[in-house]
Amino acid sequence: MFSLYKKELQSYFYSPFAYIISALFLLVFSMSFIQGISNMDSSIFKFSFSNIFYNNFFYFIFMIPLLTMRTFAEERKSHTETLWLSAPITIPQVVFAKFLAVATVFLLMMVLSLFFPLIAAVKGHVIVSSMICGYLGFFLWGLVCIAVGMMMSALTDNPIIAAVFGETAMIFLIFLDNFASTDLVASLPFLQKLLNWFSTEVHFSAFSQGLFSLSDLVFFISITLVVLVWTIIIIEKRRWSRG
Amino acid sequence: MVEIKNLTKYYGSNPAVQDISFTVGDHEVLGFLGPNGAGKSTTMNMITGCLPSTSGTVLVDGYDIAKDPLEVKRRIGYLPELPPVYTDMRVRDYLMFAAGLKGVPRDKREKQVKDAMERLHITDVQKRIIGNLSKGYRQRVGFAQALLGSPKFLILDEPTVGLDPKQVMEVRRLIKELAKDHTIIFSTHILAEVTAVCERVVIISQGRIRAVDTIENLENSIGGEKQLRLKIEGEITKVTDIINGVEGVTGISEVEYESDGVSSFTVSVKSEDVRKPMMAALIAEDCMVLEVTAVHANLEDVFVRLTAPSRADALADLNRELTAAREAEKAADAESGKEADD
Repeated sequence: MFSLYKKELQSYFYSPFAYIISALFLLVFSMSFIQGISNMDSSIFKFSFSNIFYNNFFYFIFMIPLLTMRTFAEERKSHTETLWLSAPITIPQVVFAKFLAVATVFLLMMVLSLFFPLIAAVKGHVIVSSMICGYLGFFLWGLVCIAVGMMMSALTDNPIIAAVFGETAMIFLIFLDNFASTDLVASLPFLQKLLNWFSTEVHFSAFSQGLFSLSDLVFFISITLVVLVWTIIIIEKRRWSRG
Repeated sequence: MVEIKNLTKYYGSNPAVQDISFTVGDHEVLGFLGPNGAGKSTTMNMITGCLPSTSGTVLVDGYDIAKDPLEVKRRIGYLPELPPVYTDMRVRDYLMFAAGLKGVPRDKREKQVKDAMERLHITDVQKRIIGNLSKGYRQRVGFAQALLGSPKFLILDEPTVGLDPKQVMEVRRLIKELAKDHTIIFSTHILAEVTAVCERVVIISQGRIRAVDTIENLENSIGGEKQLRLKIEGEITKVTDIINGVEGVTGISEVEYESDGVSSFTVSVKSEDVRKPMMAALIAEDCMVLEVTAVHANLEDVFVRLTAPSRADALADLNRELTAAREAEKAADAESGKEADD
């Protein structure tokens, strides 16, 4: 399984893929950063990273699917999946190895973004605890996005379609609470409760404001696991219905 | 030993493979022969565990593919029809990765990869990116991948497709060489390949097994009558008389005039021993024999006969229709007879 993880990770750096996406991520991050600084009120000289995180939360919809779109769709297209289907390795292992590889790339991107708090620290004071909490929320939300993106990639053999599906699914996840507060859903209290329970935004905003709660942590991890299990089921199912 | 028992695969309601059973003994080379779309790849995918079967099982060394897939997969090296190579990787990195995936211990990977590359003559391209290699080289990289982890069984799906004649020869030689310490099942639709490499063949068509036997037996089963083709200089009538006069000749099936008094004769004989007395008789009458060849009923005939069930089916249908028509006629006759009696 480690070999697969290593190979997946390397494949992001063999091509300019990981570099370009990291650069895009940093660009978006720096724009939020600049915006944060320029919006500073001259009387308080203070801005929060939570805002930056909150902004980036939305940009993720477009970046994470780019990372995950090739995971399974590409393998299916180029018929390389027979390699791991015929190797002594189980499908859960494959899914997990690929997930870890994408998560590592994502983690590297986050490490690069530490650049901004460092700059801020040089000229001012950074509240470390709140920032760590923000980063944690950010990372957990990223894991959910990665799992969803991988699931969409397992559904099709076209990476572009996988990316579009992934974006759609993430938009749906993010705006779940907006959807839940519409009059239609509000008239059905049970449905509203259910949708609110699954709404990621509530949980994320707590993190980005520096509030750490165990229930939020469990929420993100369990969503990630559920989606990964779905991915495994989808791949198994596809193996049964088509060679 | 690989035992395939009543293997069946349906895609939706379309049967791809139906009720296939055969066994492959240790250190055997088995050719899996069939026209395109016969179900060869589907069967191979099921043997290697890439595709679950609708019903039936595959036992590899007593392990069931459905119950112990990992044990089975550890014993099998698989080269699919399209080599499963990552085009963005370098040859050596790819093979090291494949070795890891197959669970080769870290300290043995280096050596196994080196051996596999030497066997397939790809050592000199080991630093190149697979996407930049030609089809032949990619095929060989895929083949090298199948050898990693020293599996006892090799399943090769059309290993020579897309290679140039020299490479085809090389792959055939390699299969023969590998047969010394591996059991090999390989599929092909090229007949010459089977005759060149295998001892036993399974012929499959439209998802069903048509024959499982040694090549020799298959040829004999259809052969029966032996034929000689002779090129002789001399008058046709005279030569025909002489040949017909030789004991053991059952007839001349074809005479073809070629040039300058040279004709070629296709002669049916009881056994090939007839050659000597026939030669003697011809030379005694001053007829120059320029060429003698034995015509064998070959695997090609067997193949064509076995894989063309549509014609046989059509004939059977026709017969059935004819009998039905005849019976109807009889019944009609009988009735008209009754009417006449009344």
